[in-house]
Amino acid sequence: MLSYILRRIVATLPVMAIVALFVFSLLYIAPGDPAVVIAGDQASPEDVERIRQSLGLDRPFLIQFGSWVWRILHGDLGTSIFTNLPVSAMIGQRLGPTLSLMIVTLLLTIVVAVPLGVVAAWKAGSLIDRAIMGFAVFGFSLPVFVVGYMLAYIFALELEWLPVQGYTPLNQGFWPWLENLILPAVALGCVYIALVARITRAAMLEVLQQDYIRTAKAKGLGQGGILFIHALKNAAVPIVTVIGIGIALLIGGAVVTESVFAIPGLGRLTIDAILRRDYPVIQGIVLLFSFVYVLVNLMIDVIYTLVDPRIRY
Amino acid sequence: MDRRTVLKGLAGAGGLALTGLSAPAIAQGAAARTLRFVPQANLANFDPIWGTQYVVRNAAALVWDTLYGIDAQLQPQRQMIESEETTDDGKIWTFKLRPGLKFHDGEPVLAKDVVASLSRWAARDPMGLMIIAIQQELTAVDDRTFKWVLKQPFPKMLYALAKNNAPCSFIMPERIAKTDPFKQITEYVGSGPMKFAKSEWVPGAKSVFEKFTDYVPRQEKASWLAGGKNILVDRVEWIVMPDPATAAAALQNGEVDWWENPIADLVPVLKKNKNISVDIGDPLGNIGSFRMNHLFAPFNDVRARRAVLMALSQEDYMRAIVGDDTALWKPLPGFFTPDTPVYSELGGEILKGKRDFDAAKKLLAESGYSGQPVTCLVAQDQPITKAQGDVTADLLKKLGMNVDFVATDWGTVGSRRAAKTPPGQGGWNMFHSWHAGADCITPAAYTAIRANGDKAWFGWPNSPKTEKEITAWFDAKNLEEEKAAIGQVNKAALEDVVYAPTGFFLTYTAWRKNVSGITKGPLPFFWGVSKSA
Repeated sequence: MLSYILRRIVATLPVMAIVALFVFSLLYIAPGDPAVVIAGDQASPEDVERIRQSLGLDRPFLIQFGSWVWRILHGDLGTSIFTNLPVSAMIGQRLGPTLSLMIVTLLLTIVVAVPLGVVAAWKAGSLIDRAIMGFAVFGFSLPVFVVGYMLAYIFALELEWLPVQGYTPLNQGFWPWLENLILPAVALGCVYIALVARITRAAMLEVLQQDYIRTAKAKGLGQGGILFIHALKNAAVPIVTVIGIGIALLIGGAVVTESVFAIPGLGRLTIDAILRRDYPVIQGIVLLFSFVYVLVNLMIDVIYTLVDPRIRY
Repeated sequence: MDRRTVLKGLAGAGGLALTGLSAPAIAQGAAARTLRFVPQANLANFDPIWGTQYVVRNAAALVWDTLYGIDAQLQPQRQMIESEETTDDGKIWTFKLRPGLKFHDGEPVLAKDVVASLSRWAARDPMGLMIIAIQQELTAVDDRTFKWVLKQPFPKMLYALAKNNAPCSFIMPERIAKTDPFKQITEYVGSGPMKFAKSEWVPGAKSVFEKFTDYVPRQEKASWLAGGKNILVDRVEWIVMPDPATAAAALQNGEVDWWENPIADLVPVLKKNKNISVDIGDPLGNIGSFRMNHLFAPFNDVRARRAVLMALSQEDYMRAIVGDDTALWKPLPGFFTPDTPVYSELGGEILKGKRDFDAAKKLLAESGYSGQPVTCLVAQDQPITKAQGDVTADLLKKLGMNVDFVATDWGTVGSRRAAKTPPGQGGWNMFHSWHAGADCITPAAYTAIRANGDKAWFGWPNSPKTEKEITAWFDAKNLEEEKAAIGQVNKAALEDVVYAPTGFFLTYTAWRKNVSGITKGPLPFFWGVSKSA
């Protein structure tokens, strides 16, 4: 298993290199010029050109790309064109809020969606099943920002239970950290709760029709034992898969959520960097996200072996 | 006990015990000494000479002081300067610094710091470049005295040093000011009333300023960038909120204290809240604009440009930008900021009265326009430009023009407008923007009014008579001469249609009622602003 994990990690390097080249090329040919944004609206064309030169943006593509790759190989993600801060430091600053949001969302998803899916499968065809699946369709259909505004209006403005925006690091207290994350996590989680609940229901339905479940029932095993010990473990592979894919998708959802709730995370950093054409930051983030995708896939594969011993690498 | 307390108790009981959070009373006190402000945009960099965005200038005004400051009467007043002298021929200026000025690192402000700072500023500022062009020498005479020797007089010297238009002549320590003006500084040490907390800076999210306790304010009453800059809070936190609805909610909820520029759509909601004050933020407002490319057909012909001016309705543009609040806009038959000392409407008839589409179409036909596509660049990510673009597209269609509407983002518009290639080959025919009214009071910082061909702003208008009158303004020796020159600039620029002004509009600012001392001005002034618990 260890050699498999190592092989997989090594295999990520060419993937990331291809992604890096693709992203760099895309940015190079895309319209837009960071020097223009830096110089401001009243700047003269000469000022803009001088800034382009000072940033090295007037150099040929291959030289720019080569220099970037050289820095990456030396563990240097470069320096932001705008802030003049190291890209790695900027990403480090923003990683905490995004990770926190993703963790809380993921926990919320697992805690809510899996039991909902199990109950829906157990009560298939009943009113409860239809209600849960109706909720799932509703949750899946609403855009994150609509849910976000609704939650902020109800729970922040009207009831004044939770803050509208912002982020407090965990080292400043558990509640200050959590209170800023509840609304965004619920907004972001709606889609994933719906998705995971539906997948759980479908997987459970299939398992619940198996002979060993009938045997377990015949032996007089309790409902909880049948559902959560026998059935759920055997239905876990597709559920783990969709949760894993969900983690990757959460990154995309975080972009909108972080903007709506003014959370200083990687999503907002990405949008800001793209709008300003802050190339080193965009490249750094894309590399990080690529690595996360690969890592999540690897983790899913490892978890498969834990929930289904028949799977071996 | 309310639900929030219960929630806090349930979710945080363990965590609270572990982390030992501050008691509520202490937290209240700290909150009252921290002013939380939502700026107009993200402070993405912090070099006010290298990057000239307004948001950078606004933040820089807290950290760096200037030799002179413009006041609410638009007059330059001494700020870091104790006295100045000029020779009878106006060619030698000798300045003396106030005693006791200190930088945030504890070092005294010396004349050599001023010389280095002015040199860096002048390389990037339009008025500074004019001074450099006639400069003989700029030297430090002693620790507190410096001398600027010119080859010919420059009557607007004090205005240049006092102006609030970016880049302002902020004074930095010599070691920092020696940085190439086209490269970013990395130390943010000033002598202004607040220090920049670099360790707390999260670009795109938060910038923190702390009171500089060694700052010695002037004794005069504060007035814009002049007078006593007394800071009455310990910290000012700038919290960037990309979403206006979130900013509105945060202000209503008391999570922030002051929102620099609420969008017009949300102002009615804020006005209904008894805890919030809403008022016009900047009385100098903004001037909407679209620029036509003078290099290529159809707008290389003045008749085509005049045809558009004859037909455009500034009311349409203004309503598209600010909505139906008529207190927020006024028609503008010219280029200069209304209600300022040298404002003029001379030659503005073409923008007044009923719009004449028939005459405009006739004039357009005379210009030789024969249906070729007109490439109209519109930045969709900026509501003001998007709104104007939609109105222009409609206007041009009504005039019978073939509109190639390029809806894109600001980054793309910003780079494409610099292209001097024909519209069909990556160039353009028109793009939309707007100018801060503070920049449009006189030609001093008004890049958009310049009409010196290749050296002019994008669109490259060439109007020798406009340029002649601009020079007359720079040479004017009193207000009457200035007024006369500005009138002629307005007339000439309208005749040649340097660009199309789409109207004058104002924006609001909003703050919690426990904040006091907020004044109207071209930038948010934090001196004199206090906050009660």
